Amino acid sequence: MAFNKKDAKDCAVGIGFLLPNILGFMAFTVIPLVMSIYMAFTDWNLEMHNYFRFEPIRFVGFDNFIKLFTDPDFGQYFGNTFFLMIGIPFGVAGSLVAALLLNWDFNGSGKRRIWTTMLITAVMIASAGILVCLGMGATAMTLLMVSLIGGVLVIGSLGGKTVYRTLFYFPYFTAGVATYILWKKLYNPLTGPINNALRPILEALNPVAILIAPACTAIGIILLVFVGLFFLSMVRRKLRLWRDGECGTLSAWLGIALLSLPLIFSWSWCSPSWKSMVEYNAACAVETARPEVLVNVSTTNPNPVWLLVMAIAFLATGWGFAAYRLSRGRKYNCIPDRAIGDSAIVDGSTMVGLMAMVGIACVFWVLPQMVLQTNGQPTPDGLTPPQWLADYYWAKPSLLLMGFWGAIGSNNMLLYLAGLSGVPQELYEAADIDGASPWQRFWNITWPQLSNVTFFIMIMAVIGGLQGGFDMARVMTQGGPAGSTTTLAYYIYTQGFGTGRLGYASAVSWLLFLLVFVVTMFNWKFGNRYTNE
Amino acid sequence: MKENSKFLTNFAKLFSLNVVLTLMAVLLVLPFTWMILASLKMLDEIGYDTWLPEVCQWHNYRDVFTMKGIFFGRWYWNTVFVSAWITFLQVFTSSLAAFSFSRLQWKGRDKVFFLYLATMMLPGLVMMIPNYQNMIRLHLVDTYTGLILPGAFSAFGTFLMRQFMMNIPKSLDEAAEIDGATKWQLYWDVVLPLARPALVTLTIFSFIGSYNSLFWPLVLMKSPDKYTLPIGMLAFDSSQGQQTNLLMAAVAMSVVPMIIIFVAMQKQLVKGIMLGGVKG
Repeated sequence: MAFNKKDAKDCAVGIGFLLPNILGFMAFTVIPLVMSIYMAFTDWNLEMHNYFRFEPIRFVGFDNFIKLFTDPDFGQYFGNTFFLMIGIPFGVAGSLVAALLLNWDFNGSGKRRIWTTMLITAVMIASAGILVCLGMGATAMTLLMVSLIGGVLVIGSLGGKTVYRTLFYFPYFTAGVATYILWKKLYNPLTGPINNALRPILEALNPVAILIAPACTAIGIILLVFVGLFFLSMVRRKLRLWRDGECGTLSAWLGIALLSLPLIFSWSWCSPSWKSMVEYNAACAVETARPEVLVNVSTTNPNPVWLLVMAIAFLATGWGFAAYRLSRGRKYNCIPDRAIGDSAIVDGSTMVGLMAMVGIACVFWVLPQMVLQTNGQPTPDGLTPPQWLADYYWAKPSLLLMGFWGAIGSNNMLLYLAGLSGVPQELYEAADIDGASPWQRFWNITWPQLSNVTFFIMIMAVIGGLQGGFDMARVMTQGGPAGSTTTLAYYIYTQGFGTGRLGYASAVSWLLFLLVFVVTMFNWKFGNRYTNE
Repeated sequence: MKENSKFLTNFAKLFSLNVVLTLMAVLLVLPFTWMILASLKMLDEIGYDTWLPEVCQWHNYRDVFTMKGIFFGRWYWNTVFVSAWITFLQVFTSSLAAFSFSRLQWKGRDKVFFLYLATMMLPGLVMMIPNYQNMIRLHLVDTYTGLILPGAFSAFGTFLMRQFMMNIPKSLDEAAEIDGATKWQLYWDVVLPLARPALVTLTIFSFIGSYNSLFWPLVLMKSPDKYTLPIGMLAFDSSQGQQTNLLMAAVAMSVVPMIIIFVAMQKQLVKGIMLGGVKG
């Protein structure tokens, strides 16, 4: 080993510069890390080990982890964490749309811009005038909206891209306790502006709902059949890609597995009747409600068997077809994990879209029971706006909606903007010569060119999503109602700092680490390859 | 004639683009509009259909500071104080470490750096519980020191600064060495001034991060007058949250510094996100 005096001096200088950082690194990362591993295997509990009563801390092996997996609540919290991650593709799509719009050519000549501004102002004044003249609401509210829209239009068309970018970025930039409190007020079922706006709309829609109520079951079924058919066509697309060597065996199976999820969920989602949902919510509202009670309420209305049969039929067709095709071999071979990023992004996003459709089918499912009584008479309340955060079924979608609001103009939008400016213009020129439509231009040039940005964003979002949900849960819902918004991060907080089960909380945090680790490995293994393709 | 029609098409495109963007922007800004208007209402008016207050109650903003049990001004000051310290220390330690990782040659450097990188993927939650136990032992619970210290070191900051410093030409170092500069002079007089964009970026990031941080202050701080804004707002919401108008005034005031920073620093911020994102 050539470790002479000069090396030693270099080393000393190098470490010297590192010293302040490395001390902190030791104190607040390495030592806690070691302690945390130790704690995960002990029964450290503040009820037994505190200032007044100190029993020796026992080493309990894997007991904490076993307890974790046998805990009935834990499965729910685990599911919540993943449910809230459903918002990711929507948010990413939103920021892509925003970036595409902002990337449009704004560089009109000064003259044109002034013309635009003048025309916009004219339209604005005219529309305000029309609204006032028609008496459609010469109220302050209408004027407020018109002036808001008009103001942004004028400033935007004068200031161009920067103004819109700034406005888009606001929700993300200010995200934190303050905006969560704001949304809590917006969602207030009685005094919040969202329900204030929804009430008249739903009242107007009530007759329509009564009219279509008899057809609702049929609409629900049609939607589910559509989901099934879409699943089959996506499986077919996947298999065609596989046959042509465009995607590997591993990624084909991953894609098909992802696409199957909506059908699997459709059975459990579309089942609960309105009555049992109301009872369930009422049970959740009671402080002492335990999961056993809730389960009893929700199982009083069993799911229709034929729904299960339908879902299984679609799944069996798709999987059977896939197994048949995959066993027959293919024309062009490739490595098993080729295009696994495509599976993860495209199929994952499609899966989320299908999930949303299953959700809509579920709404149609309960709609007749909301507007019609069993004797066929309209219900006294009619369609009512949801209770949002106070409702067991609506709490998570409420959080998703808020997340979407913040995610559109996020860092992701800026990353996409940077990515878009890096796409070579020659490609678009060539496409124009070939007579490509805007749609084709997007799918064949922009989307593939942005694939590495998308992959990076998705991975970061998934890693963030696994650890996320603490701030929202703490500020807006306290993890409720009945644990419906408790994520893993919030669970660690309640266990570690609420009930003082330090050992158990550490075990949960290591499980979380394991999940993050798997995603990171996925990124390292496939991230760069996908970029290079 | 042809010129003219082309002008009109472009014009129509630009116009419709502006309209679409405006509608999106307005939808995103609506919650803030409601927030401002609600903060100017009287308490009774909150649930009304109209968003506009009958008479603007500007004194709501003053009242927030004089509420019983709500030390709003104090929280403001605490947050700025703590965030400023965290930012200063973090930028300083990160730039020192990044200098060592990028400009100095020493054995085992890249291995140590890899270790740093590896800790970036650890969920912060894993460290929270033992960190809190350590803080109890060090008697740092409910002190600003306990709040500032763990935030003063950042693997992400080191990574960001290193990426930037790697791109500063090495020949500068050599020229400085020939002139007889020590390593410290090299760091202070040559590399640091050139790394200004990265310094600014990290400053913004860490200031915003500590301004918004909730978890650590929440578990560490016990006495209400030492709260930072996020946990203070939380306490406000849970103790006197039914006073929506005052709460909204407080929310508006706590969001204002963020908006000012963003509008003032927009250019650097956008650059910085590219620096940390795409390359990473």
